Amino acid sequence: MPLPLEGVRVLEVGTFVSAPYCGRLFAGYGAEVIKVEPPGGDIARAHGPFKDGEPNPETSALFLYLNTSKRSVELDLGPQAGRDALLRLAADADILIENYRPGDARALGLDHERLRAVNPRLVVVSITAYGQDGPYAEYHSNNLIAFAMGGQMFLTGDPDKSPVKNGGYQADYQGGLNAFSAANLALLAAERDGEGQHVDISVQHCMAPILEAGIPFYAYNGLWLGQRRGNLMSSSMAIYPCLDGQVGVHVMARNWPNFAEATGHAEWLEDERYATAESRRAHDDELMAELITWAASLGKKEAYALGGEYRAPITFIHTMEDLLDSPQLAARGFLRRIEHPVAGEASYPGPPWWMGPDAWRDGPAPLLGEHTEEVLAGAGLSEGDIAIASGAGA
Amino acid sequence: MTAPLAGIRVVDLTMVWAGPLGTRLLGDYGAEVIKVEGPGQWDLLRGLGGIPRTTPRWYNRAAYFNHNNRNKYSAAIDLRQPAGRDVLLKLLSKSDVLVENYRANVMDNLGLSFEEVRAANPRIVYVSMPGHGKTGPESNYVTYGTNVEQLAGLVSISGYEGGEPLKTGFSYGDPTSGIAVPAAVALGLQQVRRTGEGVHIDLAQRENLTGFVGEYLVDYSMNRQLRAPAGNTHPHHAPHGVYRCAGEDSWITIACETDEQFAALCRVVGQEELANDARYSTAAARKANEHELDGAIEEWTSRQGHYEAMHILQRHGVPAGAVLTIPEVMSDPQLRSRGAWSEQVHPDAGTWEVETPPWNLTRTPGHARLPAPGFAEHNTYVFRDLLGLSESTIAQLYADGVTADEPNVRSHT
Repeated sequence: MPLPLEGVRVLEVGTFVSAPYCGRLFAGYGAEVIKVEPPGGDIARAHGPFKDGEPNPETSALFLYLNTSKRSVELDLGPQAGRDALLRLAADADILIENYRPGDARALGLDHERLRAVNPRLVVVSITAYGQDGPYAEYHSNNLIAFAMGGQMFLTGDPDKSPVKNGGYQADYQGGLNAFSAANLALLAAERDGEGQHVDISVQHCMAPILEAGIPFYAYNGLWLGQRRGNLMSSSMAIYPCLDGQVGVHVMARNWPNFAEATGHAEWLEDERYATAESRRAHDDELMAELITWAASLGKKEAYALGGEYRAPITFIHTMEDLLDSPQLAARGFLRRIEHPVAGEASYPGPPWWMGPDAWRDGPAPLLGEHTEEVLAGAGLSEGDIAIASGAGA
Repeated sequence: MTAPLAGIRVVDLTMVWAGPLGTRLLGDYGAEVIKVEGPGQWDLLRGLGGIPRTTPRWYNRAAYFNHNNRNKYSAAIDLRQPAGRDVLLKLLSKSDVLVENYRANVMDNLGLSFEEVRAANPRIVYVSMPGHGKTGPESNYVTYGTNVEQLAGLVSISGYEGGEPLKTGFSYGDPTSGIAVPAAVALGLQQVRRTGEGVHIDLAQRENLTGFVGEYLVDYSMNRQLRAPAGNTHPHHAPHGVYRCAGEDSWITIACETDEQFAALCRVVGQEELANDARYSTAAARKANEHELDGAIEEWTSRQGHYEAMHILQRHGVPAGAVLTIPEVMSDPQLRSRGAWSEQVHPDAGTWEVETPPWNLTRTPGHARLPAPGFAEHNTYVFRDLLGLSESTIAQLYADGVTADEPNVRSHT
């Protein structure tokens, strides 16, 4: 069976994380993804961590991960020859993904009108911090700033400390996955009537509405807690240190009996302080103290096994080592071994969802400019034009 | 100009957040979404939000429920009764997509496995989104949003510099799964068109979120070294952090990525000489001495409002952004300018502001067409108009408790 997106052609003119993550999902599900890199390469190549800690544009874990199964074309979008080459590629593409500030995108010749003129069917996906218009549209941003302006940062951290971002590049990843969903909807629309469109993704707009019940409770009930709650949201939604790491619990009212049994405290079920969700809230501090003691007495995998055995929502904080050792991920084949000609073999996450055994592919990230000649020659450029467009002729 | 999912009918068996957000996005972009709850197995979000149980139809007024379920119809069907299962299968035979987010074995136990649903509709796109996936030794472990981020590896790399692993500010695994649903459904629909055969999509929430920390996994598998939480710092750039502003618990983020941006920051904070100081004049030097700069920056930011500091810094070309609170994101000029919030009128709950569809598909925009449905509000549409059941059959469904017009309020206390 063909891959789900086989036959779809994607041009990724994106840097760092958000657009490349979107492109990675297209490539994994079978689209042909041509990654256009500036001379010297995507800046993710200069960001580690690197294999053995030695900077090398071909061994950045960030780049290797985000660019699996793509082809790389090195193209200088400064001179006219580079822009002409890009338009030739766009003429033959279904989707173009970019993540520059709107003004910078226009300066690179990526404005929607020009692209539409060469290919009315093209879906142009722009991922930016704030969207294409509005008072902050040209403000500089990055993952940290997007995390702050999207409302997620204020909620994250300890009550007596500053707000803190989540690990890695969470705002950028959210942008990339939102863009992937939006792009595939636009692709459905284009299949229906042959018309492309501009898909405008604002990372801020993607992030701000999803603060759990925060927005609805404020907008409707006028309630706002205004406080960070660290690892101890409440006794029943918390991360507790254990012998060899941390365990996490997320107990809803219906899980309480199973949870009490799993912690070896069946007597709590007879304890009137803990008889109802309301009374447990009233005695939250006492219960939390009990659970701190409970967690400190056992190993993380032991706690997790008890959660499984008693059907209680208890997990443990998985490190990267735990992910590589996970029986669950191993049984599902989620971790994929990929051989890269320079970086060697490594484990990579597999598809975000499964849709049959052969619906995802695991090619290595491309070397910088590995496919420049092949792709540009395929688009009809002469050898001399290729040299100029890729910056090699300068 | 038709919406991308116009003409697509979705049966939504999901509850709480991840699933309902995903199916709401399908509704936002044109699908007809029918949310199915049991008379005694209703979405527990209907009970949150402090609406007094003495208020008429309190279960239709919960704001959190109403945010996650607009653009949907509602029908009540008890899937545990054979007659309820039959009605659901009839509905599925006239639908394109099923989305469910039960624990892995629940649908199988209800006699609604992919194989059984496919027998009723050979072209079904059947989307399961359990925490661990449908298979594997942990598939039946109970897991909710905050567990998902723990299983995904994210918590292990989050936290203050040199500190303990830290949870995110909310059940992050839920919305990150929900936003994947439109893409999963779109790929499923394309595959059905191409092959003529139904498809089972298995979206394990922990796997989907592991995709958001992939570089850490690749790094560990190459280098066998665990990375400690790094707070607000960046591996190469500095200064890169959060700084106190005037007012209570008010903060700004600043992220310098070039020498020019750093020099501009120094000018703004009135410490121009720092830009030429050997301790800070190159990216590597700044990174090595980054926290020595905190005092000089905060001395300035602590005298400014966070928005004010952001605008001043941005005018000078310095990347900066205020740490917005929930009230602030609702009044933020940029989000307002984009139309991120709009009034919704709900027959039971009244009028208030909700988020608009997040993605601007300029030619085929999303719409907030319908407020969230009242419980069982569209029973007649589903049973009589769509399925063509006779009045007597429908009456029997009510009599047997297979359906109801009101939820059994005792099932969630």
